Amino acid sequence: MSVLSAQNMTMRFGGLVAVQDVSLTVHAGEIFAVIGPNGAGKTTLFNAITGIYEPTAGVVRFSDKVVCVGCTPQTIVRMVATAIVAGVSSVVALNSQQLWSATIDANYQYLQPFPWWEAVGDFGRAITNLSLASGIVTALVGGLVGGAASLVLWWRSRRTPDLIARSGVARTFQNIRLFNELSLVQNVLVGMDHRMSAGFFSALLRLPTFFTERERFHAEALALLEFVGLADRAHFAAGSLPYGFRRRLEVARALAGKPKLILLDEPAAGMNPAEVVDLMALIRRVRDAGTTVVLIEHHMRLVMGVSDRILVLQYGKQIAEGTPAEIRGNPSCVEAYLGTENHG
Amino acid sequence: MRWRPGPITLILASAALVPLVDLALPESLRISEAVRGVFLYAILALGLNVVTGYAGLLNLGIAAFMAIGAYAFAILTCEIYPFQIGFWPALMLTIPIGALAGFLLGAPTLRLRGDYLAIVTLGFGEIVQDVLKNLDTITKGTQGINPLPGPSFGGEQWTSSNELGWYYLLFALLVIVVMAVRNLERSRLGRAWFSIRQDELASRSMGIRVERVKMLAFSTAAAIAALAGGISASVLSSTGEPSNYDFQVSMLALCIIIVGGIGGIAGVLLGALVMIGLNSIVLVKATAALAAMGIGGQGNVLLSPNNWKYLIFGLALVLAVRLKPDGLLPPRIERSIR
Repeated sequence: MSVLSAQNMTMRFGGLVAVQDVSLTVHAGEIFAVIGPNGAGKTTLFNAITGIYEPTAGVVRFSDKVVCVGCTPQTIVRMVATAIVAGVSSVVALNSQQLWSATIDANYQYLQPFPWWEAVGDFGRAITNLSLASGIVTALVGGLVGGAASLVLWWRSRRTPDLIARSGVARTFQNIRLFNELSLVQNVLVGMDHRMSAGFFSALLRLPTFFTERERFHAEALALLEFVGLADRAHFAAGSLPYGFRRRLEVARALAGKPKLILLDEPAAGMNPAEVVDLMALIRRVRDAGTTVVLIEHHMRLVMGVSDRILVLQYGKQIAEGTPAEIRGNPSCVEAYLGTENHG
Repeated sequence: MRWRPGPITLILASAALVPLVDLALPESLRISEAVRGVFLYAILALGLNVVTGYAGLLNLGIAAFMAIGAYAFAILTCEIYPFQIGFWPALMLTIPIGALAGFLLGAPTLRLRGDYLAIVTLGFGEIVQDVLKNLDTITKGTQGINPLPGPSFGGEQWTSSNELGWYYLLFALLVIVVMAVRNLERSRLGRAWFSIRQDELASRSMGIRVERVKMLAFSTAAAIAALAGGISASVLSSTGEPSNYDFQVSMLALCIIIVGGIGGIAGVLLGALVMIGLNSIVLVKATAALAAMGIGGQGNVLLSPNNWKYLIFGLALVLAVRLKPDGLLPPRIERSIR
């Protein structure tokens, strides 16, 4: 079964084609590497997969499904409801003084009981007596704006990174993006957020669900920090960690959402050889725990050491795909990295 | 582990004791009436702190929500309107009304980033004032709406002479708001707020629904500000004119959270004490003392410390940013672990 498949994906920024017609399929339980020289489009590929960019062309499927908010009946209902509310409120807002005089001022005598039913009747009469422009036209314009806004909102948030993350795809970043002012545990807990269910009022009123959930996820976050070997620093600020540990914390944070697929963007960048060995072990442990791994890496020892399959990109095009042994023997890949040997 | 009172508890406990201390002081040195103003601004600033401190969305129009709360409270209680639902129901209703106003402003604008959102909120603050001024059939324009009722306990309607009662009512509201904000801060939602303040893209990529979380911050802040507006209208028995809720109020609330320590409750409380306390306690007492000595008064306006207000706000802000950029009581990182 493929955990991730991208077909004919193209990502264009104006005249620049960053990724051109790339297709890849990652199977469950694999460690899949994407390599290529700087500027080959590897990170752009990741960003397009995780919803940060909208691919110019091509389809991305996770577990054979396209993750996207479709135009469901709910979307239509929401759009219509927004349009109606916006239309009615614009009429009321535009004519508020007139309506107020007709319903409240006309019926209320100082400190006398207020005739509610008459006021409601007057309100109905006042609103039907509005002129064409301030009644129907305003309602139509307001409704149109409201409906269009709701439509645009839906269109723009069809495929957002948070939606993709919640469908079980986690990632790390090339330039580490931790929440430096939060502690390690809290960083991991942010990654778990979409698995939690306690809402606003449960937190505000400290309902029992809040406490049970907090205990459960706290324990799990500590276990996850244990897994990446950072448990002894659990309550330190993430910003205080040395570089190599930050990478691991990012992995822990990404794993916190229990993803089926994790995308690691240059996890070994800036690491010393000993840290790279640790990282390789960690990546294998992640895979053995049941998460499929896709990684971008320049560090050849790591790539050749852990990957099951490798995709090679150059200038946004895919030039080869295969096992480490195949890639090592492929002259065009060697050329992409090292240049041609000139036997002239 | 032995329980040690935190800074929030200490500040609130000393605030609770102020009227008792006042009993021992001569009339001219009593401060509890001025401390009520500190409470009001503390509530407003705690609201602003949710949106600007926690979620990192600069809101320059928080006073507009205060105005909305005040006018909602007034329209629901004042006897020139038919509703007259009484103090407590009206005060409770200011919260959802404020939240709704926050939602209405937030829904179209929260996708804006940083400075743009600040400009929108700034504009909103001005628009609300203008609307309140010009919608005079409903809001009585620049007159403001009055009289407004206070609460009644045991069938006895409070008047403004019940100073001790008002003091502790405001204190109780402040304590409730502090607890509510603290509960939110130390929760999943608070964590999400902190995370989007630090790195919006990263938290989005971790599955946080950024728009929803921002909206909750915006609405919560608006609801708290509206509560502050409702209670302040009740204390004054009038909404005052719309320009009582102008940009200066928003700015003052912002100064409070910056001087006190943005993103922390204790800091906000201390900031309110420093900024408002300076203004309505120290300067007022100093003016009175100087007047008693025969200095100041009508002659030179500069000799009356009351007029130094904005000078001192500016100075406090400059000093705070220069010397204590994280505020007097910056929030601690390990704060919300448990």
